[in-house]
Amino acid sequence: MMIKEVIAIILLVVGCFFFLAGTIGVLRFPDLFSRLHALTKADNLGLGFIAAGMAVYIASPLAALKIFFIWLFTLLASSTSCYLIARFQKEQEQSKNRKEQG
Amino acid sequence: MSILIDILLAILGVYLAMQSLLASRLSQSVFLFFAFGLALALAWVRLGAVDVAITEAAIAAGFLGVLFLDALRDFSPRDTEEQQNLTTVQNSLSRKESKSLLLPRLALVLGLGLFLLIALEAVWKIPEGGGLTAAAETLLPESGVEHPVTAVLLNFRAYDTWLEIGVILLGLLAVFAVGGIQIYRKPIAAADDPLMRQVILFFTPVLFLFGAFLLYIGKSGPGGAFQAGVLWGAIGILLHFGGIPVYSWVPRWLGHLLLTLGLVFFLLLGFLFMAAGDNLFEYPPAYAGLLILIVETLAAISIAAALTAIFANLNQMKKEQPNDTAQK
Amino acid sequence: MEIYQIYSLTSAILFVIGLGGVFAARHFIKKIIATIIMGGGVFLCFVSFAQRDALTFADPVPHALVITGIVVAVASAAFALALARRIYQLTGEESFTNDK
Repeated sequence: MMIKEVIAIILLVVGCFFFLAGTIGVLRFPDLFSRLHALTKADNLGLGFIAAGMAVYIASPLAALKIFFIWLFTLLASSTSCYLIARFQKEQEQSKNRKEQG
Repeated sequence: MSILIDILLAILGVYLAMQSLLASRLSQSVFLFFAFGLALALAWVRLGAVDVAITEAAIAAGFLGVLFLDALRDFSPRDTEEQQNLTTVQNSLSRKESKSLLLPRLALVLGLGLFLLIALEAVWKIPEGGGLTAAAETLLPESGVEHPVTAVLLNFRAYDTWLEIGVILLGLLAVFAVGGIQIYRKPIAAADDPLMRQVILFFTPVLFLFGAFLLYIGKSGPGGAFQAGVLWGAIGILLHFGGIPVYSWVPRWLGHLLLTLGLVFFLLLGFLFMAAGDNLFEYPPAYAGLLILIVETLAAISIAAALTAIFANLNQMKKEQPNDTAQK
Repeated sequence: MEIYQIYSLTSAILFVIGLGGVFAARHFIKKIIATIIMGGGVFLCFVSFAQRDALTFADPVPHALVITGIVVAVASAAFALALARRIYQLTGEESFTNDK
């Protein structure tokens, strides 16, 4: 009983650390691409640890499966939106460059 | 100890609401509003209102956020030079105005402060023991479902819910009235990206399944017609972004049928049992569970259709404009 | 301090923030956001007192009313947005102006 809780707490703390790192990255990094990098990579990893921590804490296979799917779908959605934001920014920069040249 | 979370959440909600209104750029405003909706959804969970949390996250933060984001592209400056001229004009205006506006602003702040004190005092003193929890608890076995919120929504106060479905339809009709009916015509090519299309095609069956799950689970837990309807509506909106505008493929008669299905069937069922001697929207307890599931399914289809149509009509309203002038 | 007290006080603050926004915000979209925040305050008040009056479960009637209310608020916001966009398309105005 105790071991389960200790493992869960460790996983949650590690997850929170990655979230903190990602948030600091978003606030401190200079341009959009590095910010996106911090946000999606660190936060997805943090979410993974927190999901694992919760799954260990609840200790029911069905709930663990649900938590796994939540993590998977968030991963898909966040990486796609990261790609879309980056693509939009790149298009903006390109059109800006074209305007300056032409 | 856990009350600390509630205090932090309350501060976060107030901060996000203020920042969303104070932000200098409109896009910041909209994104902070997204975050505000999600913070509010967490507050609902803390208050034990999981149904409300799902509704808030799905429709108030999600759907409305998408509508706002779509509107942003409309309001964003077409030409930077023109916009710059506009802002300089606005700046000179606001400098001129700022002196004459000082008194009204002071009055506004003072008035709001006074109002806040009165509101806080009023909220603090709401007397105890009003609620209808006990009444709902005794009648729950007759409702045909096990989840009290679903019982209230679809049985005890079904009239409200029927009108609510009507209000969504009314909202769509109002959007039609302002922007013209755009959804049945061939849309001007939506954004198309191969990666996005694949992800959306992957999510479509998942969303459908999850919506059906919420619909079914509404009988015994948080979920139900509205949450399911919003998720199914999200399918239509996502497919639009994947370059697959399903709404424009639907023939007009079918579209109108889907939009009114929930409202009409809900009412017909109410009248049917009224003719048999019950009150309006009163179901015999033996069949109530099944009837509620059917009504909820049809209502969810109608809600999904209406939300997709509201989004699509607003989206096409913007794009139709330059084409129209070209034709004339 | 009970949970419902925290959230009911927050609800009053949110309502006043929204009210201030309705008066002070210039752009149409911000005005619409302000009305939604006002509505959020009202809903929070409802649900916090539903939590206070809980027996075996929280009072379901305010919950149902709030779900109804959120959907109605979103439908009316969609209509307001349609009006705002139409006004912008026709006149180029982004806010109500007093002059002229």
